[in-house]
Amino acid sequence: MWAPVVGVPNGPVRSADEWCTSSSVFRFASKFQPFPPPSPPSTSASASASATAAPRRSPPPPPAMAAAAIHQFAECITCHAWSPDHSMIAFCPNNNEVHIYKFFTDKWEKLHVLSKHDQIVSGIDWSRSSNKIVTVSHDRNSYVWTQEGHDWVPTLVILKLNRAALCVQWSPKENKFAVGSGAKSVCICYYEQDNNWWISKVVRKKHESSVTSVAWHPNNILLATTSTDGKCRVLSTFIKGVDTRGSHASTSTDWKFGEQIAQLDLSSMWAFGVRWSPSGKTLAYAGHNSMIYFIDDVETSPAAQNLALRDLPLRDILFLSERTVIGVGFDCNPMIFSADETGLWSFVRYLDERKVTTSTSRASQLSEAFGKLYGQSKQVASSDTVEPSKPRGGVHENCITCIVPLRKGNDSIVKRFSTSGLDGKIVVWDAENHIDIKK
Amino acid sequence: MRLFVALANTLRLYLTCIRNTLEAAMCLQNFPCQEVERHNKPEVELKTSPELLLNPVLICRNEAEKCLIETSINSIRISMKVKQADELENILAKKFLRFLSMRAEAFQVLRRKPVQGYDISFLITNYHCEDMHKHKLIDFIVQFMEDIDKEISELKLSVNTRGRLVATEFLKQFI
Repeated sequence: MWAPVVGVPNGPVRSADEWCTSSSVFRFASKFQPFPPPSPPSTSASASASATAAPRRSPPPPPAMAAAAIHQFAECITCHAWSPDHSMIAFCPNNNEVHIYKFFTDKWEKLHVLSKHDQIVSGIDWSRSSNKIVTVSHDRNSYVWTQEGHDWVPTLVILKLNRAALCVQWSPKENKFAVGSGAKSVCICYYEQDNNWWISKVVRKKHESSVTSVAWHPNNILLATTSTDGKCRVLSTFIKGVDTRGSHASTSTDWKFGEQIAQLDLSSMWAFGVRWSPSGKTLAYAGHNSMIYFIDDVETSPAAQNLALRDLPLRDILFLSERTVIGVGFDCNPMIFSADETGLWSFVRYLDERKVTTSTSRASQLSEAFGKLYGQSKQVASSDTVEPSKPRGGVHENCITCIVPLRKGNDSIVKRFSTSGLDGKIVVWDAENHIDIKK
Repeated sequence: MRLFVALANTLRLYLTCIRNTLEAAMCLQNFPCQEVERHNKPEVELKTSPELLLNPVLICRNEAEKCLIETSINSIRISMKVKQADELENILAKKFLRFLSMRAEAFQVLRRKPVQGYDISFLITNYHCEDMHKHKLIDFIVQFMEDIDKEISELKLSVNTRGRLVATEFLKQFI
């Protein structure tokens, strides 16, 4: 059975009172939404023969597989990124290299190996319009790779960091990129035409611990970060000469570089995987206490919603649309969240339906009940050992660490996305026919 | 018989509790050291950044048998104390666990030295989770805990049998 035993909080281990207070929200109106009860299994035929006659109340089961393609590229993958036309993929096989594969008619072939880093590569992002790859690594460096002819040419970016770089993302206009680091700081890098050089500006002393994830607001100025101090921050990254004052909303005219716009103190635990919704109206991030947080209108009047999960914590999230979110993490199975008309978020289901053998669990429940009925039972006497635990997940067999959208054109709705995890698989999911994506 | 069933049952509960706690606690990830440049160390051993550590969990079956689970962002340390009812069991447990600890690299997740106050410790890092299945790792720990009691009582039995045999043989000459 994959359902956790009642009484043992799934997720990180915390004391009971901390567990209870983790949903408290400072300053913000909180609409606490508990995890919905599990829906009953749609097939309940084994117990009642009359089930077929009864009207079918449960919704029809989704098509068998939402995973469109599964590729085993390596033993373990830390992160991956797609080329603008989705014909090539760059990923790090848990070492200092970045491999680029291209899809030829029927199979993937390795085209390039980018080996300039000397420690594990922790982040890759492939810009959509300028076709540049940025990589960051635990060796404190970053490279921007540009394609010249057949080869990828690296340009070193001096990040001015003294600890590992952990994550990277291109800004929407692709004139800047942000790097989160273990030096408790964020670097904003931009290209300087005169010197033919990438410049890094560091936002220091805003974070109290490592920055685990960064996300750009669509206005190209605001940057959201999550950190292992449990906070999510929104910073301004306005750089003179790179950004123009008129390019963003009038409320933001006074923001200086590195200014903190908001600090969200919702999670009592490490925070991961921050993302903005396509319009930038909603911000979402995950906490290691098996919570996901949704914040509306961060710049003006933030309103937060906390959603507690029943299973293991999330590592990364992705907005498919304004009101549909996919979360991936230690549970090895992507979770779907959606908001209703009033903006209330809730968990919908797992994307990859688990094969729960209802008949066996029913049988064991039954025999247990019989055992209780007859006072003694053979079951209690025979099982002084604990039955082995079942592996989690379906398509992925280990923690999913990375989820990347496969956007087509300027479509605001993501219809396909890919996930990679510690099991070395890259899975492309087809959301269009399997998820009810709300606009 | 009744007592035996009850005992077996409490062991089962104890192990189930440990299994569920491990299941929840073993959510590890690669995390480079915040204090030392270009290092990557198990945070649960270093304990330099308090924000990267979680509250330790202590699971006790009784005073003599307990299990401490300490978790951090990239590593988890499981220490256990095994039952030692008398001096013979004490010395057997000590020798046996020392024997295992000396071969720690064969077990991969075994720590060479137990944490103070415990008989044996395991250290699981994110690298183990990348190489091995999580549920197999948990099964291994639980199986180990289950077997260690059995092993020690068997050793105790064989020591006693041998002692009795030796004594009989020795005393035969006085007949």
